[in-house]
Amino acid sequence: MSAKRPHRWLQAGVNIAFIAALLTAISFLPPDTSLSDRQEAGVLKVCVPPSYPPLITGNPAEPGYDAELVAAIAGDLGLRLTVNTLPAIGQDFNPRNWFLTRAQCDLVAGGVADTVQTRGFLQTIPTAAETGWVGISATGTMPPTGSIVGVLPGTSGLDRLALSGWLRQQGLRAQLLRSPAQLQSSLESGAIAAAITERFVAGTIDLKENAFGLFWLPESIFPHYRMALGLWKGDQTLKRAVANALDNLAKTNVLNALEARYGLDGAIASTAE
Amino acid sequence: MSSPIILMRGVYGVWLREIMRATRDRGQMIGGVSRPLIWLLILGVGLNPYFRGEVYGEVRYVIPYTYLQFLFPAVIVLNIMYTSIQFAVSVIWDREFGFLREVLVSPMPRALILLGKVLGGSTVAMIHGGLVLILARFADVTLSLEQMAMALGLMFVLAFGLTCFGVVLAARVRSFEGFGVFSNTIILPLYFTSSSVFPLDPALTRTQTATAYPEWLVFLVQINPITYAVDALRGVVIGFNQFPPSYGPAVICTMALVFFIMALIDFGRS
Amino acid sequence: MTPRRGSDNGTSSAKHPNAKVPAMIPAAVTVEDVRATYGTKAALDGVSLTIPRGSSFALLGPNGAGKTTLVNILCTLRRPDGGRAVVAGADVLRQPTKARRSIGVVFQDSSLDDRLSAWENLEFHGLVYGLAPKIRRERSATVLALVELEDWRDEIVRSFSGGMRRRLEIARALLHEPEILFLDEPTVGLDAQTRQRIWQYLDQLRRERELTVLTTTHYIEEVESADMVCIIDHGKIIAQAPPEDLKARYGTRWLHILPRDAAATKAILARYPAAQKLGSHSLALPAGDDAVTDAFLAEFRDSLSEIRFQEPTLESVFLSLTGRELRDRADGQRDAEKAAGKRGGRR
Repeated sequence: MSAKRPHRWLQAGVNIAFIAALLTAISFLPPDTSLSDRQEAGVLKVCVPPSYPPLITGNPAEPGYDAELVAAIAGDLGLRLTVNTLPAIGQDFNPRNWFLTRAQCDLVAGGVADTVQTRGFLQTIPTAAETGWVGISATGTMPPTGSIVGVLPGTSGLDRLALSGWLRQQGLRAQLLRSPAQLQSSLESGAIAAAITERFVAGTIDLKENAFGLFWLPESIFPHYRMALGLWKGDQTLKRAVANALDNLAKTNVLNALEARYGLDGAIASTAE
Repeated sequence: MSSPIILMRGVYGVWLREIMRATRDRGQMIGGVSRPLIWLLILGVGLNPYFRGEVYGEVRYVIPYTYLQFLFPAVIVLNIMYTSIQFAVSVIWDREFGFLREVLVSPMPRALILLGKVLGGSTVAMIHGGLVLILARFADVTLSLEQMAMALGLMFVLAFGLTCFGVVLAARVRSFEGFGVFSNTIILPLYFTSSSVFPLDPALTRTQTATAYPEWLVFLVQINPITYAVDALRGVVIGFNQFPPSYGPAVICTMALVFFIMALIDFGRS
Repeated sequence: MTPRRGSDNGTSSAKHPNAKVPAMIPAAVTVEDVRATYGTKAALDGVSLTIPRGSSFALLGPNGAGKTTLVNILCTLRRPDGGRAVVAGADVLRQPTKARRSIGVVFQDSSLDDRLSAWENLEFHGLVYGLAPKIRRERSATVLALVELEDWRDEIVRSFSGGMRRRLEIARALLHEPEILFLDEPTVGLDAQTRQRIWQYLDQLRRERELTVLTTTHYIEEVESADMVCIIDHGKIIAQAPPEDLKARYGTRWLHILPRDAAATKAILARYPAAQKLGSHSLALPAGDDAVTDAFLAEFRDSLSEIRFQEPTLESVFLSLTGRELRDRADGQRDAEKAAGKRGGRR
């Protein structure tokens, strides 16, 4: 009865487009109230450790990468920043032991590694900072079998068991170091052939110019951890807003400047296995 | 006109008809999509706060994802399960209303008729599953094109196996009404014991599993093939596997093969 | 592909092909002693028949006589439990695919997809039979025009009336140019006008395409134009011949008369005791040959207001063969309509 000849896929296409549009619209519904709550209060609460250089330094003139980052984020979101300093943060590998509560923190910064264990507790937004075990030696490589290697475990929660196992396997003798100062003096005196510590700790040690080289331990055994900002699981809208703010900061080159300022942009040599 | 081309035309024809029938009916499509909405929106959002994990001292939720992210791949699987198994209604329909005879008197081999039909059903199920991917943003899941392609591939093979399973069921059920009841009593238990709405993590928390769940439930989850399908899709979509990553695809492919052969035997008899 | 004869004899009538077509052309359908049982009940009890190419063959019988079972065997949907059936030179058991390729089937119940349009139903059929896209389009247009459904080509079949559906099914069965067309009760549940229309198409087709047509029916008036009528009852063939032969052998010609007055009626009844009353005034008397008619007219010429011959019908043939009316004919029709209505409601 009709002169028109609709294309055979027309109806199907219309239906699929209709449903796709419906779902797309629904996907923009906010799944929770985390962002609107913060906006109502006008405050973004951030928990940081007292010191975790170079992410948090405790020095007001140069407060650290993460400290400046969260301040910039709060600025982008139009929220006032409140910083709560919790000594427990970063003291331990497991963020469950940091005594965090929702009342104190919306955001956790300075010492949150983007690991599976962390993500079991918090959701994370990785930042430019990266950490892992690094070696320091005069040659810039691991010393030969039988040498003594100093280890300064630090507090970032890198896998110490894997490290000691690996050292044993390499036929190296490990010596536990207590502080960056001890690491420096032992290296310089030659008491140890090399030192192994966490990347950020290594960055703070003021070694003699060009006398020692930094290198990553083999990545296949010791993964590098990206540092991250931590948010509570389920705070989806807040997380999206923070990620969005980070994008804005990257576009305006604020991030690049911060990375350069805290020495997070330099490359460290990798070792072959 | 070589023979393979003729046969492929036939398979294409049967496939095309299934797609046409399914996509033309907007009600059916909305019905297919309302399930993920209910699951993700209501259940996912509703339970999300209870899986936040900030209550210290007690391990509430050890999976490194939010509940919405965890649920998301399972909702895709649920959608595929429904669409695939309900596809059997189309088989019963053809049988009851005589359309089947139109195909059976054609020179097409029965195996290819079945293949075309099952491919059509799986494509429709894959579309229904794929539509859920649109909600990825809502669940805070980011997908690369590669991940999407892999997910769609897995979804298709899964849909193929389940569609064949539906055909096998259809051969044993005579009426539409009976099939509705039957399929629900099969789909829902399979879904709930597939580690879809709660995690069962043998690698990380053997002891936790044992303290959290009774043996029989753990057993049910472990023998349920859908568990591995959900796991495979989780591996692709959110990068989380509870079981060795090769299990999922292996189970999905085995299902597709076994059920197709069973469907072939049943269909040849009709 | 329909084998077409050369133009020199292409004009010859399809009627009584046995008389005109040499025996060396194989029959379209050969059935030898075919048996089929459902449980212990025999649906077909040793049926044998031959359908010559290009002929129109009617299978007449009451519901449950085994017509549909026979059609199902011939179109390879059911395996015979005994005997042999050859369709277009292919044994239905050994070469079912070859047999299927040369047949077109119109089933008793609609086998259209009512969610697709008329055109899409044809498209589907063409694809399943492996026709190339161009051929598919051309032939779809042709067969659609043949059954006068061009204007409905993009309408969804669900909105079609029973007659339109049946016409579309006939069009579809012809799409792959079969040699043999099987029609299982093609006119059941349709009104008289539509039935007539469908038979027109079928006759036209047979003339134009040299098609062999096998029809089953329990409408006795529909088989009159067939070349050959086969009467089947209780799974057995009880008569097989051209309709005229059947009528000549088993049927009687009747003279229907309307006497002028009651006195004339009485006189005629007294003279011809075999005469039967039809209605309140009419009479019918057997008039096997012209002598009887002549004698009757000579005697009662002046007391009649109306007179006409009633030729023997297959109804009367069936009556004289089986000793009963075409059993449950009305019931059968009602059942078919009920089934059609039920389907319609559920769709």
